[in-house]
Amino acid sequence: MAVYILKRLGFMVVVFFIVTMMLFLIFKAVPVDPVNLWLADTGANVKPEQYEQMRQQVISQLRLDQPLAIQYVYWISNLISGNMGYSGFHKAPVRQVVSSPIRATVKMNIVNLVLVFIISIPLGIRSAVKRGKAFDNSVQVVTILGYSLPTFITCILAIWLLAVKIPLFEMGGMATPNLKGSWLTLELDKIKYMILPLIVMTFTSLGGLTRYIRAAMIEALSLDCVRTARAKGLKEKVVIYSHAMRNGQITVITALTNWFIGIFGGSLMIENLFLWNGMGRVMFMSVRNNDWAVVFAMSMFYVLIALVGHLFVDLIYAAADPRIRLT
Amino acid sequence: MSDAKKDKKKKLSIYEEEKVQSPLRTMVRMFFTRKITILGLSVFGFVVLSCLILPFFFPTERLFVDSTQRNLPPSGNFMKFPKTLEGNVRQISAGNAFAAGIDNDGNVHVWGNLNEGLRAVPEGMGNVVQVSAGLSHVLALNDRGEVFTWGNDRGGVFKLLDIPGEAQEGDIVEIYAGDQISVALDSGGDIHVWGNQNIVSIRASGVRGRVKQIALNNLTAIALLDDATVACLSIVSVPFDRIPEEIQGRTVKIASNDKACIALLDDGTVTAWGLNENGLLDIPENVQGRVKDVAGGRSHFTALLDDGTVESWGSNLLKQADSPSVSGIEQIAASYYQNYAVDGNGKITTWGLKGYFFGTDDYGRDIFSRLLAGGRVSLFAGAISIIISSVLGIIIGSISGYFGGRVDVLLMRFAEIWSAIPFLPIAIILSYILAGNLGEVGRLIMTMLILGILGWPAIGRLVRAQMLAARENDYVLAARAMGVNTRNIIFRHIFPNILTIVAVNLMIRLAGSILSESMLSYLGMGIMEPTPTWGNMLSGSQNLTVITVYWWRWAFAAIFLGLSTLSLNIIGDGVREAIDPKASGR
Repeated sequence: MAVYILKRLGFMVVVFFIVTMMLFLIFKAVPVDPVNLWLADTGANVKPEQYEQMRQQVISQLRLDQPLAIQYVYWISNLISGNMGYSGFHKAPVRQVVSSPIRATVKMNIVNLVLVFIISIPLGIRSAVKRGKAFDNSVQVVTILGYSLPTFITCILAIWLLAVKIPLFEMGGMATPNLKGSWLTLELDKIKYMILPLIVMTFTSLGGLTRYIRAAMIEALSLDCVRTARAKGLKEKVVIYSHAMRNGQITVITALTNWFIGIFGGSLMIENLFLWNGMGRVMFMSVRNNDWAVVFAMSMFYVLIALVGHLFVDLIYAAADPRIRLT
Repeated sequence: MSDAKKDKKKKLSIYEEEKVQSPLRTMVRMFFTRKITILGLSVFGFVVLSCLILPFFFPTERLFVDSTQRNLPPSGNFMKFPKTLEGNVRQISAGNAFAAGIDNDGNVHVWGNLNEGLRAVPEGMGNVVQVSAGLSHVLALNDRGEVFTWGNDRGGVFKLLDIPGEAQEGDIVEIYAGDQISVALDSGGDIHVWGNQNIVSIRASGVRGRVKQIALNNLTAIALLDDATVACLSIVSVPFDRIPEEIQGRTVKIASNDKACIALLDDGTVTAWGLNENGLLDIPENVQGRVKDVAGGRSHFTALLDDGTVESWGSNLLKQADSPSVSGIEQIAASYYQNYAVDGNGKITTWGLKGYFFGTDDYGRDIFSRLLAGGRVSLFAGAISIIISSVLGIIIGSISGYFGGRVDVLLMRFAEIWSAIPFLPIAIILSYILAGNLGEVGRLIMTMLILGILGWPAIGRLVRAQMLAARENDYVLAARAMGVNTRNIIFRHIFPNILTIVAVNLMIRLAGSILSESMLSYLGMGIMEPTPTWGNMLSGSQNLTVITVYWWRWAFAAIFLGLSTLSLNIIGDGVREAIDPKASGR
């Protein structure tokens, strides 16, 4: 086990470097001169020779005069030591720019994860057990809507229905501006703004997962061991939740993890529609503002989540299924 | 499956079926037994067919923009005049999406897409002899030479509805309502202008006391003077100010649209000048010398001929130049995209824009025709990107599955890394970098390429798994023993055997591909305006005003896009159940 984890970690490091190299090359291909961005504000006020001097200064500061490989090494060593660069648009270190959006997104996604977990597993199992009945059919309809409709349409519909027609929730944003009060009121206010994005997020991610779980459970319920368990006279609850579910677990875990990796990318859309200042929105805005240092940091974070996620899947596999040996 | 029991009664038993049916036929039959699948199939087929066929009947002009047609709700009543006017009509004038008319008793009627301002026809106007409808207001003139106006003033900044004192002296003979501007001509040949003169510039000083008639368009006014000459009243240079010399002194009537002006001469011929767009200046041969009256819309002209027939020419995008074959016409009115013709008995014939089935967007474009055209683009882009990713996936998956071993491990790790990259963020970055400064077609191609290249691992893994199983077959061994080269073994011998599964999977993935394209385009990072796609037609609709007031701007595109992805997913479900024997409970 330990060997396996080490192996996987080694693989992860290799992948990480490959991906950073790819990203580095992509960002080098950006048709924007970082020096101009850097000096965007000063350009008008200084004399040409002074500007040229500042330009040279910035070039050597950013090490743009060095060969690409050396630039990469500088950059990656900076990155590893936690220095992700300087945002030309926000005029602040990238770390400062990205930390609060990342926190916001992680917070939202974790809550979403819990919600989806709580809802989709019982729902999937129940509709597998009640297969072909009215309950199953209605679950099928709702879930197919959830994963078929484009996220932005679901968002618009949700805003229209739940924020405009029936004004239960806030349309967008993260908190009421200039709201004063105790810590509790501020937090409650934030939660109020989080509900509608969360509903949409849960609705859209529920669909695929519930169906996966249902399919896995249907397969598990037709296994011989389930028949045996029933023949032994075990309670239906025990049969389903203990005998069948253990066999369906692997599929469920794969689906859940793949989804979890996906939601970080997927929440981009929801964040943009609800003006929720999370990773996805900041990244999208940074792309538009040519603020590539921020985009880069965000992309690295996405990749990191994906890699850790994959490692996680493998480990959970081993934990969930005794037949799988990790070597 | 719940229908399985029912099926067994009327159809073959499982053993009989196995004898006579190939697996493919079983699949097809299984597929068609589910009602919901058939529903999905018909909905998708309907959407595809409408997007393929209907654009021939409802063409769209990509670069069409018309600010006078902005944000109009779905309607079809622009030319639905009240019944009381039939046989009893004195005059009609059309506005951007509505029209006003007067009956022989001098009562004013308005119809079409009306709002509160337009509906508020003033009381006590007396015997109205002339009406003129503009972009969003109406002018009326009664037999005592008094002017009345009502409509929308867009906040009242330009005092459009405040008739100036000099136009209230009771000596007005003609009125003209334009785009947020009003002109009144008095009996002394003077014109009075009020309203928004920033866009429509009119300088009346040079023609004071000599004006006989005015033609208004979206830029300026053209005046016909009492010596039968024509003058352009614009302060700035406009396409209409090069008035042909030969018409000076011979002009009887003038009309104008946004691109060109037309003059009716004393010998019944017409001469047009200005921009020759949509054949505006190419006057039909058969009308020359026979014209009695002319009128101009926004990009077309309509002429009344001496035998009582009508002829329209110019842009026919909104069917405004589809002049009907009628006779006995005595009066015509054309404005914006509407045409009215009244014959001697007062019977009204209309042609042109009836309304917008699905409303118009922020640029005044017809949403219905754009939806159809956008559907073509969306479906096409989805299909092409799926083809690109399947070509990549099939090549890489085949190699990986056929050779196995180190190659397999390497390629599958590569696929794993590839799919570790979150789709939407990387697609946005790539699209920005690669397609940022490309033209429209370039962007379309690049978007399809990006979607295709990002999507290969899923298909690659599927092909690999199929290949792994297929390569152990005897026919592969035989082919190898015969010395067939590897490429041919993979693509000629094995591939046809796994083609069905791959094809079915591609179809299932089409929904996802259309979704991805729409998301990118929605964010403004995929296919861009003015090329319509379902995604970019929805851009900007998270705005509160759009969601609540201009609901048609998002609702219809959302329905079309949602219906297609939904029906595709239902079909996919059906296919999956059909090819998976376990799913049918056997």
